[in-house]
Amino acid sequence: MPSFMSGEAAAKSEPRLTIQSRLEDLALLWSWVESIAEEHAAPAQTRFAIHLCLEEALSNIVRHGYGGQPGRPIDVEFSSAPGELVFTVEDEAPAFDPLAYSGRDQDPVPPAGDSIPLGGQGIRLMRKFAGSLGYTRLVNGNRLTLRFPMVP
Amino acid sequence: MQISTEELTDGITKVALDGRLDIAGAAAVDLKMNVVAGSAQKLLIDLQNVTFLGSMGLRSIVLPARAVHSRGGKVVLFAPGEMVESVLKTSGIDAMLPIHHDLAAAIAALQ
Repeated sequence: MPSFMSGEAAAKSEPRLTIQSRLEDLALLWSWVESIAEEHAAPAQTRFAIHLCLEEALSNIVRHGYGGQPGRPIDVEFSSAPGELVFTVEDEAPAFDPLAYSGRDQDPVPPAGDSIPLGGQGIRLMRKFAGSLGYTRLVNGNRLTLRFPMVP
Repeated sequence: MQISTEELTDGITKVALDGRLDIAGAAAVDLKMNVVAGSAQKLLIDLQNVTFLGSMGLRSIVLPARAVHSRGGKVVLFAPGEMVESVLKTSGIDAMLPIHHDLAAAIAALQ
């Protein structure tokens, strides 16, 4: 943080978080999202939805986009728009559109006689809890934009 | 993330989860959940103090529940908060793991 910044500016949450592609590093998301939610007085439901969708989006990138390969970058950028909080997630993984992905192969055939569904939950949850989702194929990566309305 | 177990009447095992069932929370409870599910025949999973549930957390509930079901046992989910319940319903697991908000009803469903 440059020393010339005022106290008020220093208290503002960082608009960008970069993590490495390890599931353990997703723990860094929580406090970052909390500080943004606090600053923008996001309702509890919006806060929950952001935590949920970002955890799903980033764990998808770690497990599927990068195929479990550690040490690859994931950038999350925050911006606010009127009445909504917007998060943009970028990676350098092979083309992977989660919105076109059924996710069924996440879960092998469940044991006979038990049909508790497990596969494909990440994208199902993101569709339900994000206000909107957008995918862009980049030259060398992927961009997912998640928008969360401030009122449910 | 905290996990505690309690033996109720009629052979019912209550396992209470407390905290955030995010990726780290799921990893923290998986072993204990699997141990509990390895012997319980009637399992009540108390979610009232679970403040967050993601898809990795869902696995921590579903996989042990499958183990109990595979032995012919029963599992119910008790008292999830509004957003946690919404995650359970969106995922569809409430069709196999009934959700109860009344303890007497939850216990009755395990008989």
